[in-house]
Amino acid sequence: MATEPTGSTDSTQPTKSTHARRLGSADWLSIALVLGGLLLVYYFAPLLSLFLSASPSEVLGRLGDPSVRSAATTSLLSASITTVVATVFGLPLAYWLARAETPWKNGVLAVVVLPLVLPPTVGGVVLLTVFGPNTLLGGTAAAAGLPLTRSLAGVVLAQTFVASPFVVVTAKAAFESVDRTLEHASRSLGKSRWATARNVTLPLAGPGILAGVTLAFARAMGEFGATMMVAYYPRTMPVEIWVSFQSLGLDSAYPVAILLVVISVAALLVLNTVASNPWR
Amino acid sequence: MTLELSGLTNAYGEFTFGPVDLTVEEEVLAVLGPSGSGKTTLLSLVAGIAEPDAGSIVLDGRELVGRPLEDRRVGMVFQEGALFPHMTARENVEYAATSDERVAELAATLELEGVLDRRPATLSGGERQRVALARTLAADPDILLLDEPLSSLDAPIRKRLRDELHGLFASLDIPVLYVTHDQRTATALGDRLAIVRDGELEQVGTPSAVLDRPASRFVARFTGTENVFEGTVAESVGGGEGVWVQVGDVRFRTSTSDVSGSAASASGVSGAADPGSSVTVCIHPSRVELEPVDASVDGGAEQANTVTGTVARWLNEGNEYRVDVEVEGGLTLTASVRPPTFERLGIDTGSELRVLVPPESIHLIPETERPR
Repeated sequence: MATEPTGSTDSTQPTKSTHARRLGSADWLSIALVLGGLLLVYYFAPLLSLFLSASPSEVLGRLGDPSVRSAATTSLLSASITTVVATVFGLPLAYWLARAETPWKNGVLAVVVLPLVLPPTVGGVVLLTVFGPNTLLGGTAAAAGLPLTRSLAGVVLAQTFVASPFVVVTAKAAFESVDRTLEHASRSLGKSRWATARNVTLPLAGPGILAGVTLAFARAMGEFGATMMVAYYPRTMPVEIWVSFQSLGLDSAYPVAILLVVISVAALLVLNTVASNPWR
Repeated sequence: MTLELSGLTNAYGEFTFGPVDLTVEEEVLAVLGPSGSGKTTLLSLVAGIAEPDAGSIVLDGRELVGRPLEDRRVGMVFQEGALFPHMTARENVEYAATSDERVAELAATLELEGVLDRRPATLSGGERQRVALARTLAADPDILLLDEPLSSLDAPIRKRLRDELHGLFASLDIPVLYVTHDQRTATALGDRLAIVRDGELEQVGTPSAVLDRPASRFVARFTGTENVFEGTVAESVGGGEGVWVQVGDVRFRTSTSDVSGSAASASGVSGAADPGSSVTVCIHPSRVELEPVDASVDGGAEQANTVTGTVARWLNEGNEYRVDVEVEGGLTLTASVRPPTFERLGIDTGSELRVLVPPESIHLIPETERPR
C-alpha cells in the first residue's frame, strides 16, 4: 500500500481507501472464481470430449456385443449387491461410531478408513491372501462350489472392501447430526432402542445415509484395481474397458466407457430421486 | 405415586452431583438453581439419560436405577421441546399415545386443535412446548419432569403458559419436578421449592418458607433478598420475643430470637441467638417500606425499625421500582416499591426518605454455613 498522503482533505481520504478495499476484494473474488472455474472445465471437458469421440450409433452397436452386455450386467448386479451388503453391514457400525463414547472409537474409525487410503490393487492383494484359491477360506468355499475368486462373489468381495467405507463414514456423519435429545425423548416415551432408531434416527439421518449409499454404489461401479486382482472374470465394465483398450486400442474403449458413464449417471439419478427429502 | 431419591450421586468431570436425598409426593416440586448447579443432572438421572454412581431412585415402589429409559415410565419435557421434526404435531402426540381419545383429550386441554397438522418448524415456541407436553402426557407417565420448558419463550407467552401449567399440574395426580432458574416461575408453580447449589440441595420447603426464611445467604440472594448483611446479636428485647441485632451503626429489632433457617433447613441448626453471636441479617426488599421524612408516625409504624436515608439509585423494573436508600453508617437498604407509592413519594436520586423495616420481616441466619 502506498504511503498515506499527507495534507489531503478529510472528505476524499475515506472514499479513496474504501474504493481500494472494494477493488481488492473484487480481485480476490475473480481469482477464486477463475480457479474454481478452471477446475470445473477440467472435470467436464474430457467427459464432453469422450462423448464426441464415438457416435451414438457406434455406442448402440457395441451394446449388441455379448461381452459388453455381459460386462454391463455383471457391473450392475455386483454393484447393487455390494451396495446392499455395504448398507446392511455399514449402518450398525456407523451408528455405533456416531454414538459410542469409548477411546476405541478412533481406532475403529482408522480401520474403516484404511480401505479408502489403500491403493486398490494392494486391496486386491490383501483380499487374495484371505480368499485366494490356495487359502483355507478360499479353498473350502471353492470346494463347496462357491469360488471366491474369478466369480461374481469375488467381484462383490472386492467392491465391498473398497466401497463400503463410504457408507460407514457418510452415515456416521448423518447419525451424528441427529440430536440425541430426540432419541432420549423417544425412549422416555416408552419406545425401545430399535423402535427409536427406526422411527426417529433413521428417517432424520436418511438423506445423509442415502448420500453415502450413492457414493458407495458409484465407487462399486467404477472399481477396477481390486476387482482385477480378485476376479478378472466375470468382467465388469471397467475391466472390459481395460481389455478393449489393451487388445484393440483406445478407439474401441470409447463406446464402453460412454456406456459406463451413462449407466452410472442414470443409477445416481434414480438413487437421488428416491433420496428426495419430503419434509424439507 | 411417590418419587424417593436417596444418596444419589453422579460425578461428571469436575462437577459432582449429590449426594441428594429427596422425596416428591403428588405435588409440584420446583427445582430452582443457577445454571450449572445440577438441576438438569437431577432430571437426567431420574429419566435415565444418565446413570448415577451411587444411590437409588424409587418411583412408585420400583427401583429405576439400572432400568433403561423406555422402562421407567418417566415423562420428560425437554428444554426446546425436542419434537420430532419429521412428524406433524399430531404424529408427535400420537407417537406415544395409548389411544386416539387421549390424543383428542390432550389436544383439547392444551388448545392444540388448530396446529395438529403442522410440523414443528412452523410452530411458535409456545405451541411447540404445548405439543411437547401433550406428547409426554400421552404416554401416561408415572412422573412428569420439565426442564426449563418456558425459558426460551417471550415474556407474555411465558406468563400465559405458566398460568396454564399451574392449572394443568393441579389436575395431575403424579409427582411433577419442574426445573427452572427463574424464581418467579418456581414460586408460581411449585407447591414446594428445592434450591440447588453446586450439585447439592441447599433448602427444600414451601415457597413462602424458602422466600421468607432462607436457610443460607445463597438461598436469600438467589430468591431475591437483596438486603443481606453481616450482623451481631446485641441483646434480647426486654419482656418479650425477639432480639436486637447490630448491623454497622444501625440497630434493628426483630420479632424472633430464632435463628434457624426453617424446618427443612439444610444446616439443621436452630436455637436462640446468644448476645454477641454473629448472624446474617436478611430483609426482603418487598418488606421494606418508604415514607416521607416528615410523615407523622402512626401506630403501626411505631413498631417498625425506622431509619432515615438518601436515595442513592433507583431502577424502574416495570411492575415495581427498586430503590437503594443509603442510611446511617454507609448501609444501603434496597426497597421494592409499587409505582403509585413511588410517584406519591416523588422519589429521585438524593431524596430524603424514612425507611421502615417491620421486625417480623427480619430473618436471621446463623453463621454456621459451610464455606464455599
